[in-house]
Amino acid sequence: MTGSPTVNAADIGARPHPPLPGGNAVVFEKVSMTFPDGTEALSDVDLAIGHGEFVSIVGPSGCGKSTLLRIASGLSSHSSGDVWVDRQQLGYTFQDATLLPWRRVQGNVELLMELRGYPAAKRREIAKEKIELVGLSGFEAHFPRRLSGGMRMRASLARSLALNPNVFMFDEPFGALDEITRERLNDEVIDLHCREGFTGIFVTHSIPEAVYMSSKVVVMSRRPGRIIDTLDIGFPFPRQPDLRYEPEFSKLCGAVSRALRHAIEA
Amino acid sequence: MSDPIVAAYKSTPLKAQVERYSPVPLAPAPSVGRRLVLSFAPPLILGILIVAAYALIRADLPAHRQFLMPSAEGLWSQAFGIAAFRSELLMRALTTISIAITGLAVSIPVGIMLGIVMFRVYALEKAVFPYLVALQSIPIMAIIPLIQSALGFGFLPKVLIVALFTFFAIPTTLLLGLKSVDRNILELFKLQNASWWVMLRKAALPSAAPTLFAGLRISGSLAVIAAIVSELFFLSGKGGLGQLLMNAKIDFKYEQMYAALIVASALSITVYLSFNWLGNRLFAHWHESSDRQR
Repeated sequence: MTGSPTVNAADIGARPHPPLPGGNAVVFEKVSMTFPDGTEALSDVDLAIGHGEFVSIVGPSGCGKSTLLRIASGLSSHSSGDVWVDRQQLGYTFQDATLLPWRRVQGNVELLMELRGYPAAKRREIAKEKIELVGLSGFEAHFPRRLSGGMRMRASLARSLALNPNVFMFDEPFGALDEITRERLNDEVIDLHCREGFTGIFVTHSIPEAVYMSSKVVVMSRRPGRIIDTLDIGFPFPRQPDLRYEPEFSKLCGAVSRALRHAIEA
Repeated sequence: MSDPIVAAYKSTPLKAQVERYSPVPLAPAPSVGRRLVLSFAPPLILGILIVAAYALIRADLPAHRQFLMPSAEGLWSQAFGIAAFRSELLMRALTTISIAITGLAVSIPVGIMLGIVMFRVYALEKAVFPYLVALQSIPIMAIIPLIQSALGFGFLPKVLIVALFTFFAIPTTLLLGLKSVDRNILELFKLQNASWWVMLRKAALPSAAPTLFAGLRISGSLAVIAAIVSELFFLSGKGGLGQLLMNAKIDFKYEQMYAALIVASALSITVYLSFNWLGNRLFAHWHESSDRQR
């Protein structure tokens, strides 16, 4: 982790987490999930994500990518198999920023710390640092409705970062943003990933976004979702925006795209 | 929330704040005078037209029916101009408003509690809602004599009538608001293992507050009407404006009846505007339904 202000674990009632199999941050073993109506969403998903990795999950719509994330975060429960995640300090962003519209940016960034029982002075201090980190200094007193879509997303990121997450899950966070804002936020998330050292799981529809951001791209089949391909992306972090126009980058995008086409036919 | 941050924010003019992030300069805000004209002129003109129509219709009435529509001079010489009547009017208005407010003081907390309980226990919502609708569909005026027989002629039965009139809108609007809280926001709380109470306090209630306020506005303006209606049936004792209305009719003092009507609607409008003002103050900065931008 970084040199950000730390909170005594005992202060907020945190318990140390037992180590995960193989020293990984997230492990899925033969995870299946069937909805109450009998629809099979996931079947036998095996996936291990090491500490400090940034993994993107791509797949046809409705293949259970988001369900996988919801299971990992504990929002949904799986029907069979085993899931290990250190959820003690979990970051999670939804498809939209999910800010509380009646709170100012400051109050929104403090929210999760408030729910965890951080003392007020600590909350202020950490919020200030994280707001600065996402480039929202000067907007502390704005209400969300007065911010642009990209700024709302930044506030949402700051809110999660405040807990110093070990694992940060992104559920198609930038789908509603314009291309330019999206690429900027891609860079910022990678930058945050490098600085804060969290393990990232990123669900997306966009192949270039997945390749650009990740150390590993996981391709899922259509429903019921299985993992049918895993591609390692070897480019060093942090990544440069021009990487998107390198031939090597295009090749990898092509490979993911082929795997995805295969996934849809499979 | 830190006060210095908010203070610094509020001291920057709104236009300057927005322009910092706006690609084009903003059109100048309309001047205060222009805004006053725009907001006051239309209702004023319509009001003048209504008074003119009243005068025309009155002039058309045969002389022996003109008592139904008193003239402005009549209203002054027979009602508002008489000092004793003015103080009676004031006393009665105070009585009416205190009945209305006490009634609201009963129906609002009870209604809010019922709304929260219905939100918490789905079975209770299913059980109670049909009876709420039934309560609303009973012509409450028809059960006033029953309330009178049971509780007598004092302050309490009138308060009960106001509470019955104003109750429905409160639990229903609150429940609607509570149920439409953003699901993602609730999941955000769940991810932190927040308890139901914390979610209610920090997510559902603030999110439902503007909807509840729409209900409070309806209840508020109904409360004065209810207080007056309740008194139409209670002619003994020191009553409010409703009693004055009935007495004026019996005594054939139509000017005084009109005076009571005018004061009654002024009260109703005041209560409505107060809730409006409070709602705007509380929610304008974040909720779309508010009139003002900030």
